Amino acid sequence: MKAQHVLAALKEALGDHLRDPEIRTRTVGVKSPQTMEEIWGKIDRDVLLQAAQTLKDLGPLHISIISGADLGEEIELLYHFTVGYGTEGGEVLVTLRFTIPKSDLTVPSLCGIIPGAETTEREKIEFLGVAFQGIPDSRHLFLPEDMEVHPWRKDEPELEKLVRRTVKWEERDA
Amino acid sequence: MRELEKTFQVPIGPVHPALKEPIRFTFQVEGERIVGVDIKPGFAHRGIEFMGTKRNLIQVLYLSERICGICSISHPIALTQAVENAAGIEVPPRAQYIRVIVSELERIHSHLLWAGVAAHELGFDTLLHLTWKVREKVMDILEEITGNRVDYAIPIFGGVRRDITPEQYPQVQDMLRYYRGLFEELAERFLRDASVEARTRDVGVLTPEEAEALSAVGPTARASGLRKDVRQDWPYLVYGDLGIKAITPEDYGTETRGDVYDRVIVRLLEVAQSMDIIERCLEDMPAGEITSIPKVPALLAQLKKAEGEGIGRHEAPRGEVIHYIRLEAGKEEPVVWKVKAPTYSNLMSWVPMFRDQEIADIPIIAASIDPCMCCMDRVHLVRAGRDELVWKEKLLALSREKTKRIQSRVTASGPRVTALSPRSADHGGEA
Repeated sequence: MKAQHVLAALKEALGDHLRDPEIRTRTVGVKSPQTMEEIWGKIDRDVLLQAAQTLKDLGPLHISIISGADLGEEIELLYHFTVGYGTEGGEVLVTLRFTIPKSDLTVPSLCGIIPGAETTEREKIEFLGVAFQGIPDSRHLFLPEDMEVHPWRKDEPELEKLVRRTVKWEERDA
Repeated sequence: MRELEKTFQVPIGPVHPALKEPIRFTFQVEGERIVGVDIKPGFAHRGIEFMGTKRNLIQVLYLSERICGICSISHPIALTQAVENAAGIEVPPRAQYIRVIVSELERIHSHLLWAGVAAHELGFDTLLHLTWKVREKVMDILEEITGNRVDYAIPIFGGVRRDITPEQYPQVQDMLRYYRGLFEELAERFLRDASVEARTRDVGVLTPEEAEALSAVGPTARASGLRKDVRQDWPYLVYGDLGIKAITPEDYGTETRGDVYDRVIVRLLEVAQSMDIIERCLEDMPAGEITSIPKVPALLAQLKKAEGEGIGRHEAPRGEVIHYIRLEAGKEEPVVWKVKAPTYSNLMSWVPMFRDQEIADIPIIAASIDPCMCCMDRVHLVRAGRDELVWKEKLLALSREKTKRIQSRVTASGPRVTALSPRSADHGGEA
């Protein structure tokens, strides 16, 4: 599968909802170097499911992970998908990102399209406080159920206190 | 008459003799049959990604190596690629070959380790001892090449930290001969043994449809017939030059059933595949530099100036590892670091695998995805039916209290052995 082909399909399906799409390249190999291409783009959260369905229609779809970052007023989510595994050099890495305001952290769940996204979505619930609409199970996964702080958020006063306390305690014990 | 309850809950873990690392399974059983399972990981979560964003990139590299002891080169391989992509750092050809050689040595030791664990879970300890005995050969080579049996500290941003010297080539070739000579025996013991087959055929089945829907990775996905292997699908380092093909049970000449037996086939064939890769790399590897920025202060300075984001992926022994990194100019530490280990992707595959299986097969099915709970910190207690958080300070205080309690009991009770000297004096002159 070629990155251009995937990008064209995404453009056609999402129209203006796909912004700043780009194909990043890297050269790999020593004896017979080849150029590998990756797709990066911004989307609106409303078209996330449509984007995933478009990718799924192109070939076997795999979700590697959802990355996330606290940008201050907003939370950014990056969905790292791959399309078309099973052929030599035929897999295209697609990263789609969007930001959501902290006042409304709801995102549609991908589990209806890729059930395997549940683990990574549950991780985003506990680490960033994002809510996924339609996720079959929204309990904490890696963290205890009664842990109220979201460790990747930068606006958690309790987390800050906890880290300071632990560092101080570690120094004392060293 | 009161109606009898049909379904019972059987908790296994978080700490249980059948498990090598902590995780909690809550099985719903009807008699011996499993009808459902709930999985709770996180008992070894150490908050490594959080720690990484407080440290400079070279410290993060060492931290990444400690995510997992068994596949301790997989995370650095993915992290170095992510950072090199973000910062635009080149890797010399020889260094790329060395990274691949050490990765494949790791795959051999990891798959042999798994095969031993699988034999043990089947109650076949003779086979465990045989497998782990022969695994020592590759451990010796890893130690010879890298200086360590685990945590090899080989990749660094822009290359590798140690070269493979000409004197070491024959040792590696000797190891390849040793394993090739043994391969038939291992295949005989694992794949043509009636008791292994009886315990693993049609046990813990994962269909190709389920593997695809659940985004399973590594040998778990390949044993279900998916030709999914990062080395083949998304070439990196020199894997594109080597013509890697994902291995499924069909390569052994059998029909894919997606059971535990198929997972044994795939891993054994991959040991042979890794040997071929190592041999090719030794032949093809050009002479030259092993790193593009040899001085660590210069490397740190360049990384501090870097701005950008990157992804690194690697086919670890258990499947896809992916690292995403974001760097900001002027900052030594990464702004965002996301790590995904293979077991994270394979976690949900356990649910269909356990369905309609027997309680006695729990250990081998659990082990069949080769789980590695390289997850996180904090201790998690269940007291009087509710979860409770216990932090490190409290844990240490509790453990000291317990030691004191034991000490007082030990000193209080009966005579103690003070010396282990022979009592020859009592027998007068026999010596």
